[in-house]
Amino acid sequence: MNQRTLPPLGPDTVVRLSRQGGVAAMPRLAAPREIQFSDCSEDQRGQVCAVLERCLPVAERAVGGADQRFFQVELRYREANQPSEWIITVPEQRAPGELVELWKRGLRTG
Amino acid sequence: MTPFRPVAGFIPPYLLDRIIERGSERQRACARGTLQHVRQLRPNPGPPGLQARQAPAPGRPGQPQRHIHDAEQRMELPGVPRRSEGQAETGDAAVDEAYEALGDTYRFFWDAYGRDSIDGRGFALIGTVHYGDGYENAFWNGEQMVFGDGDGEIFQRFTRALEVVAHELAHGVIESEAALVYVNQSGALNESISDVFGVLTKQYRLGQRADQADWLVGAGLLTERVRGRALRSMAEPGSAYDDPLLGRDPQPAHMRDFIVTRDDNGGVHLNSGIPNRAFYLAATAIGGPAWERAGRIWYDTLLDRRLPNDADFATFAGLTLTQARARFGDASAEARAVAEAWQTVGVEIDP
Repeated sequence: MNQRTLPPLGPDTVVRLSRQGGVAAMPRLAAPREIQFSDCSEDQRGQVCAVLERCLPVAERAVGGADQRFFQVELRYREANQPSEWIITVPEQRAPGELVELWKRGLRTG
Repeated sequence: MTPFRPVAGFIPPYLLDRIIERGSERQRACARGTLQHVRQLRPNPGPPGLQARQAPAPGRPGQPQRHIHDAEQRMELPGVPRRSEGQAETGDAAVDEAYEALGDTYRFFWDAYGRDSIDGRGFALIGTVHYGDGYENAFWNGEQMVFGDGDGEIFQRFTRALEVVAHELAHGVIESEAALVYVNQSGALNESISDVFGVLTKQYRLGQRADQADWLVGAGLLTERVRGRALRSMAEPGSAYDDPLLGRDPQPAHMRDFIVTRDDNGGVHLNSGIPNRAFYLAATAIGGPAWERAGRIWYDTLLDRRLPNDADFATFAGLTLTQARARFGDASAEARAVAEAWQTVGVEIDP
């Protein structure tokens, strides 16, 4: 099981979202989207964290088997002044709609 | 709320391997422990969860038992039944292609290797087509095969390519046998073996010798708008497509170009190019129909209980040579071809 609580994510956090795997796996189709918290408003950071919270209950360690696609969320952040990293993987079939939207369209503005 | 604690298992296993190789003593000790833990989390699942649900009755030996469903563009499985074994064509191209392709794949495994379906015991072949809206994928979910229609811009419907349908069924066969773990080199072997039996199914259906085949996976799947001929090339990994939108096919053909990545479970669809080319080289060196000798060696290896589920390329290669020698003789042309094929792609066989 994955961890159920997000680490504290400060303003230097970087979130990378991508969709991985599939029989037609091609690197460009993963369409990675990077979100830098330093470029985000408080509201937008909250939006990202809310999406990540939705992912935690449906995250799985072993994903992608036999061409099943999955979403990969990579968090790079600082903890106790040390760079830290965290990866969450979510099977496509269980991915929250908000995660898919965030990956496809990015953050809402305004 | 659970207090925050680092979960080391989120580090991909290939990174743990690198830490074990190059890290400090403490890092190496931690990584070893974590890797062991990760491996415990990924046990061999054994045969597919056929008994987990009410599965349709198996067919008689030598007779497929097909059931094709229609997801009607939703993502719910298995969907509405459309065509079962023995029923007439429906006029829906995806339904009929899936039915025919699953039948072709069943017949290939039965005729070539005497294998009775996915589990060797006549497991019913369940396929769902029209999965999702413009869905650009096909997969095996542990119980059935699933096919999308493609977006029409990059991909056409995935049932068009017999070798792709067979590739998905082969994933079920692999799961029933070696259950190669779907990460890093064992994952790339899983993908490669599916490609091997995918193209062999097509070659068997067309009655092609090794030198007559195109050795492409997903030929005809890309639309005319894409500059490419397939998803992958087993003969020339890295040459299947070169397109402004998709980029260039990144598959390596040799160990010196092995891709270390955290994406795609450690590049399982990328590094499969290396064992794919080894199979192509062995099959073309041996000559004749590739399923008869090269395919037989790969099939024997897949069923060899000495093949661990976390096998790397070298371990798998060593067992293919063992199987080639056992079936055809120590000094046989087949054994020589297998040894040379692995050497050519830079995989050193374990002594």
